[in-house]
Amino acid sequence: MRDAFLDELYNIACRDRRVILLSDDLGAPSLDKFRRDLHHQYFNVGIAEQGMVSLAAGLALGGKVVFAYGIAPFLTLRCLEQIKIGMCSMNLPVTILGVGAGYAYDNAGLTHHAVEDISIMNILSGMTILSPSDNVMVTAFAQIAYTSPGPKYIRFDREKFPLIYDENKSDFSAGLAVLREGRDITIVATGIMVHQALKVADELSKHAVDAGVIDLYRIKPLNEALLMEAVAKTRRVVTMEENFLSGGIGSIIASLLADRGETVRLRRFGVPDKYLSQGGGREELHRLSGLDVASVTENTLRWLGK
Amino acid sequence: MAHRTILKQQELKSKANWVRKQTLEMCVMAHSGHIASSFSCTDILVALYYGGILQFDPANPHWEKRDRFIMSKGHGGVALYPILADLGFFPKDELRNFCQPGGVLGVHPERSIPGIETVTGSLGHGLGIAAGLALSAKLDGREFMTVVMLGDGECYEGSVWEAAMFAGSHALNNLVAVIDRNGLCVTDFTENFLQLEPFEEKWRSFGWDVTNIDGHSFREVLATFKGFRSRTSTKPLMIIARTVKGKGVSFMEGQANWHTQIPASEQLEKARMELNRKAGLAGRC
Repeated sequence: MRDAFLDELYNIACRDRRVILLSDDLGAPSLDKFRRDLHHQYFNVGIAEQGMVSLAAGLALGGKVVFAYGIAPFLTLRCLEQIKIGMCSMNLPVTILGVGAGYAYDNAGLTHHAVEDISIMNILSGMTILSPSDNVMVTAFAQIAYTSPGPKYIRFDREKFPLIYDENKSDFSAGLAVLREGRDITIVATGIMVHQALKVADELSKHAVDAGVIDLYRIKPLNEALLMEAVAKTRRVVTMEENFLSGGIGSIIASLLADRGETVRLRRFGVPDKYLSQGGGREELHRLSGLDVASVTENTLRWLGK
Repeated sequence: MAHRTILKQQELKSKANWVRKQTLEMCVMAHSGHIASSFSCTDILVALYYGGILQFDPANPHWEKRDRFIMSKGHGGVALYPILADLGFFPKDELRNFCQPGGVLGVHPERSIPGIETVTGSLGHGLGIAAGLALSAKLDGREFMTVVMLGDGECYEGSVWEAAMFAGSHALNNLVAVIDRNGLCVTDFTENFLQLEPFEEKWRSFGWDVTNIDGHSFREVLATFKGFRSRTSTKPLMIIARTVKGKGVSFMEGQANWHTQIPASEQLEKARMELNRKAGLAGRC
């Protein structure tokens, strides 16, 4: 997913020397092209996230369009104040490319898990949060990040996902996509959980529950009107995310519903309030978090009283 | 860009005294602001803006060719406001709105203020941002210089050294940092609780040229910046300026408890008297 993005970014950078890519010593096959062909537009700043974000802010003040690439939990938590001050308070065109959404780094342990980033980035005023679910989308996000002003955070997974979107689709301005209509409930998911949600919907259908699925790929700013229109049909919403429940998309949607005074039943699935450093890979972490397909299906059915 | 008169040393002294008087009265009016921290860097700021060092255009704060000055030591920013107002970046009346409803001037500078390049206040950010600006200039072959002022206590922040390492490694010789080395933090002298010394050696080891000057000597400040645009060295320049926190008011000078205090009653009158006496000695401004 990140290589698809970086490949597109490389094409953009070839045409526009304002584009600068910074890395905190995280590699990628696509970075070789940057290093080889665009060495005046690529800098390895070393394992120095705070320095990287401040540098990015300064470059942006000097007229550059900057991308800062690294591992998601390090590039969000460690330099949070630099993001707040250097990027958000001055509305600068800096995009953080955080690799390792959720439990993507599974066996690397809790230090490498990005399970707070949605919550924390969402709090920052002016931040745009993009959470891609396939490579078609991620390629389009490169253009979006390049052309739209202001600070952005893109949360990349490490797995290769099946394509959801048509290869020719490039308009992702809506912020969310209704992948499947449903009469009974609406599952709103993001990132890897979109793929899980589609499987959950298949399982629910075996129990005569017709579940719609929404891919929430732009978490902030939320397309409130479109989301409300989508959930109004069933008025039963399930959210699925690989992020702490506190402050994640479930919380965000709960806040929206409360603010709108809407009577919508809501069941949130996400990472419980616990740091998990368990072996067994991502599937085991999902199982422990109740995010595996079987757990979400069973708990949803229970929630529906079935 | 309009022609601007470069002040001579005696005039710089007068101007600095005027800036201190304005700073004092603004902070007293608002009962807010860091007077002592502002006083220690006032002379350097006056030299930068009135001594023919920085290039800028108050009528066009975004003039492409302007030098970039970043007050990383944001709590000293109150000293910058009278200078910017006096030069015409914004109306002098705005000084009366310091910390008032509807005013744009707060305790720490923000980018919304004409003449301010970046928001500061939380320490440790400015050098990294300055390095980014300097790098952008290098990449595009632009000639503006980036000058950033830091506090010495600010150098406890690790982020300062990340920026220092990058600037040194990338030969950002269009970057000049000035440290207001007044030796005092909020609660104590730096060398009493966490030693910054040997300070020059630290910066040299990070790839910087380092010079050590009296930050209250206009002659030394001006001499240090002479030719700074055409240095042959490839290294960024660090100017460690020895200063006195609270310089200009005797009972504040070098005292640990004046970081946020605002003088009142007799002390205020004494401060005013001392600055007025200095104005009399330096000539009207």
